[in-house]
Amino acid sequence: MNIVTEESNGIQIVRLEGRIDAHTTTLVEEKLFSLADGGVSRMVINFEKLDFISSAGLRTLLSTAKRLREAKGDLKVCNLNPNVQEVFDITGFSTLFNVSASEAEALAAF
Amino acid sequence: MSEPAAPIVETAEPAALRWLDRLPVITENSRFRVVWDLVIAALVLITAVVVPFQAAYRHEITLAGSVLIYLIDLFFLVDIVLNFVTSYRRAGVEVTDRRRTARHYLRTMFPVDLIANLPLDALVLALGAGRVVGPSAVSVVLLLRLPRLLRVVRLFVVLNRSQQQTWTNTGALGIIKFLVVAALLIHWVACGWFVIAYMDGFPEDSWVAGQELEQASVRAQYIRALYWSIVTMTTVGYGDISPRREVEYLFAIAVMLLGASLYAFIIGNLASLFSSLDRAKATFWNRIEALELYLRSRGTPRDLAEQVHNYYEYIWARHRGMKADAMLEDLPGPMRLEVLLHLTHELLAKVPLFHHCSPTLRNVLLLSLHAQTYAPGGYIVREGEIGREIFFISRGQVEILSDAGEKDHGTLEDGDYFGVLSLLLGERRTASVKALSYCEVFVLEERRFNEIRKEYPEFREVLKKMSSEKTDRVSQLVMEGIVL
Repeated sequence: MNIVTEESNGIQIVRLEGRIDAHTTTLVEEKLFSLADGGVSRMVINFEKLDFISSAGLRTLLSTAKRLREAKGDLKVCNLNPNVQEVFDITGFSTLFNVSASEAEALAAF
Repeated sequence: MSEPAAPIVETAEPAALRWLDRLPVITENSRFRVVWDLVIAALVLITAVVVPFQAAYRHEITLAGSVLIYLIDLFFLVDIVLNFVTSYRRAGVEVTDRRRTARHYLRTMFPVDLIANLPLDALVLALGAGRVVGPSAVSVVLLLRLPRLLRVVRLFVVLNRSQQQTWTNTGALGIIKFLVVAALLIHWVACGWFVIAYMDGFPEDSWVAGQELEQASVRAQYIRALYWSIVTMTTVGYGDISPRREVEYLFAIAVMLLGASLYAFIIGNLASLFSSLDRAKATFWNRIEALELYLRSRGTPRDLAEQVHNYYEYIWARHRGMKADAMLEDLPGPMRLEVLLHLTHELLAKVPLFHHCSPTLRNVLLLSLHAQTYAPGGYIVREGEIGREIFFISRGQVEILSDAGEKDHGTLEDGDYFGVLSLLLGERRTASVKALSYCEVFVLEERRFNEIRKEYPEFREVLKKMSSEKTDRVSQLVMEGIVL
């Protein structure tokens, strides 16, 4: 699991690579929470290189979004691969988050 | 003839059957045929009562009696013609080709109808116009009307046909047939018992003379003969009226044998006929009774056995004990679909899953879903299992419980679905789902789920729409760590 972060015009971009499963959820959670706690309120998570997301991963996304929204910010996701997109669609997560096709689109959505 | 060629090799048709071409084919279950059959059935009953009665008790050829008989004959003549062009069923296929319907009739009921409708009495009357005098000649004419009793066979043909068409309860029909046969036999015996005395001119040692009925009214004569018929046929045998001459003894022996057979038939069949009035119910509850006995013999706790009983009671009340899925399995797909659409048309309007579907996807789902019923307190899925199916609640309420039932995560109800996360992510369920009321659930198994989501991308959209209507609930469950 690899996490790359970058800032663009006050928006935190997080690029996730690999799989969010039982072993890596904690790592992702710690990273996202630390960003949120460190003053980030607007965040885009790029899923382009993410192959799999577990239920715990979904929970982490929800918790992060909650924290950001409490800070008057938001979490947007982009570049979902077909498998992850399907999980998002069938579980209703597509409507819980603003899902964009590209990073630029997600950034523009703020 | 503009009829399409029938799938049989047509041989040279006899000229005698050409007139058929001028008649329209009558469908066996057309309204006309059904009404006609009812009329014929009524006329059969009138014939079966009036003809023997006239022969035995009315020792004269009355105008009214004869007009009635010949009028009925006219109906039966028309019936014979109609039978030639009435369609019939062969291995579930309706045969409407005139030549085949005619041949079928000729081979089956025609000989019986012919004998039953030969106007032998009219022939005798016509040949010996004005010479039919004296009681015995009159009796012969009246007795020659008796072959018309063969029309009773026609009654059974009509009853059987109506059974096929209306799916009438066979038990009820069996009882009707039995009662008709019993009543007619009793009537015929009453007529026969009297006529053997009459034919010999009421000799002094006849039973009629013994009862001093020679000059009595027809009503008194008939009531007494009917009484003897019933007493003998039912094997009661009071003995107040008894045979006195050889011919009467012989007749009585025959009636006693007939009565005993009828009695045996009653004992043997009536109970089962009555029980088969609701065969489906009896079969269903017999099975449940066997299961309950088994559970009891294995020491199953009383409350669990009671739950099983209650469950089946619900299944009976709601589905008449049928597992439609299993019952319809043998039907070809399109026909099964049509039946399912009919059976579930009310449900389709209520279940959100089907609201969002195109007709094509709805049909695919209908053929793939299994209906399942859960009793209150019963588990639908258990914590720790790996999801192999998705559940769509069509009716009822369930509760989500984790930590071995300790922690309550709220309820799901009509229109909700669950099971998708565990199935998609391959994770173990972190909670159990328990029915709070009787729950009607559609189950979609993993294999079909995977096939459908690949073949019908629309399915994903349907699920998306359904879950997007409940986002708060979805996020709440995910936040609580619930995987179903």
